[in-house]
Amino acid sequence: MEAAESILRINNIEVKYHEVILVLKGVSIEVPRGGIVALLGANGAGKSTTLKAVSGLLKTEDGEVTDGAIEYEGRSIHHEKAANIAKMGIVQVIEGRRVFEHLTVEENLKVGAHLRKTRSVKDSLELVYHYFPRLREKRNEVAGFVSGGEQQMTVVGRALMTEPKLVLLDEPSMGLAPKLIRDIFNIIMQLNKEQKISILLVEQNVKLALSVAPYAYVMETGRIVMDDTSEKLSQNEDIKDFYLGLTDKGGRKSFRDVKHYKRRKRWLT
Amino acid sequence: MELFLMTLITGILVGGIYALVALGWVLIYKCSGVLNLAMGELTLIGAYVTLTFYEMGIPFILAVVCTLLVGVALGFLTERIFLDKLIGEPILSVIMVTVGLSFFFKGMVEFFWGTDTRVFDPPVFAITPINIGYIKISPVYLWSFVLAIVLLIILVAFFKYTRWGLSMQATADDETAALSLGVSARFVYAAAWAIAFMSAGVGGALLGNINGVNISIGYLGLLVLPAVVLGGLNSVPGAIVGGIIIGILQNLSGTYLDQFFPGGVKQIMPFAFMAVFLLFKPYGLWGWERIERV
Repeated sequence: MEAAESILRINNIEVKYHEVILVLKGVSIEVPRGGIVALLGANGAGKSTTLKAVSGLLKTEDGEVTDGAIEYEGRSIHHEKAANIAKMGIVQVIEGRRVFEHLTVEENLKVGAHLRKTRSVKDSLELVYHYFPRLREKRNEVAGFVSGGEQQMTVVGRALMTEPKLVLLDEPSMGLAPKLIRDIFNIIMQLNKEQKISILLVEQNVKLALSVAPYAYVMETGRIVMDDTSEKLSQNEDIKDFYLGLTDKGGRKSFRDVKHYKRRKRWLT
Repeated sequence: MELFLMTLITGILVGGIYALVALGWVLIYKCSGVLNLAMGELTLIGAYVTLTFYEMGIPFILAVVCTLLVGVALGFLTERIFLDKLIGEPILSVIMVTVGLSFFFKGMVEFFWGTDTRVFDPPVFAITPINIGYIKISPVYLWSFVLAIVLLIILVAFFKYTRWGLSMQATADDETAALSLGVSARFVYAAAWAIAFMSAGVGGALLGNINGVNISIGYLGLLVLPAVVLGGLNSVPGAIVGGIIIGILQNLSGTYLDQFFPGGVKQIMPFAFMAVFLLFKPYGLWGWERIERV
């Protein structure tokens, strides 16, 4: 991780909701410029909260970064408003394909261009249609009615319209068919390479995430419990056991052998 | 037949003005989910502001433009002073605040302009009616309608094609997602109030030309409620069609039903119709139903 200069540095942050509920208990993550970093973990581990802390959306849910710091390109941003953070070039793709249902696909994209930095709206649209040709066909359809995959493309495309430097992707694979997931991830990798967009990826699909991101962090109950290169992580016994469903012999695990009381739940505590 | 046609056309023309006020209402509802019960008073303020400019010797059209500007300023101020602090509070409390605002505005109007009925003097529009075929229409109605329609078209185009209009619609749809793209919700709310003030204000100015300017314009503004509900609270075309339907209904019932039910049947009818209509179409004409993909 030392090699590349980092675009985002989350330094030991602590997040509280409603001033009492402690959800993140010291999370540190670094995203290198132009890199892809995956953030893995089970439900409720605090992955989405981490993303919201970066994008500033936490504040709309009465959450707050109470300790630590978030630095983006050397600037401390955890006290900034969400709209300002978006202006700096960080965009979060919220989980659950949150399209603007009553607008058409193209209108959805245009909302993304509302900050309008260097490219014209038309150029931005062309760029999005270049990566997602399907959206060009569906451009005049109401976004609430297009298929799940097309909605996911719409929200990723919409994020692309803001000319981001860093995209926070929250579970882009959720509820999609395996082939579509592959397609979308291929496009995401292309965007990373060709548009030089750094990506912080939250995923439940560990195998997929490790194949896309060269470096990954594992979260559990508000803490980072492990971080390493994807190669090493996918060799790790615990990861294999808990997330990839493989035994140490590398074969597929039988459900009969899963004894939940035997599961080692924590690495650090 | 002649009477019917005349009533119908007058209804449509007045309905245009209602549509304008209704649009302001829909805008606030669409963007922030707040039912603005102070809308009648916004209309009232618009009427008095235009009248004041007119009495200063400014031509009517310019007075309307000035009212637009004052409306924008007042809308921003209202949002910043009273409503900004309520973002994130339950919608019901915000609606209660608009009730309070309506009393406050009414009080301010009485304080500044008194309670006497005042008229635009000299009259803005000629009094002699225009003959179209064998139907007579007074120019006030016709020109008010034209002005209302022009403003409606401008507002709808703003909503549909400009980036601000689009981000306002986006915020209405999914506030968090809009925020993540850098759309500032505070700005959107303020803009919605500014536009609502604008359209209500001009509506008030036009209504004031028809009936003279007094407190009752506030009630006419409130008459827009059935128009909005009829159209479906968050539909722009719904507001326009709803406004025109209410205009027609009001005039027809005034002409034909008044002899059977003397008194205020003209005022009651739109509300009665709204109640019955909602029994059959609870979302109004084009209100958002939840989109469910199958």
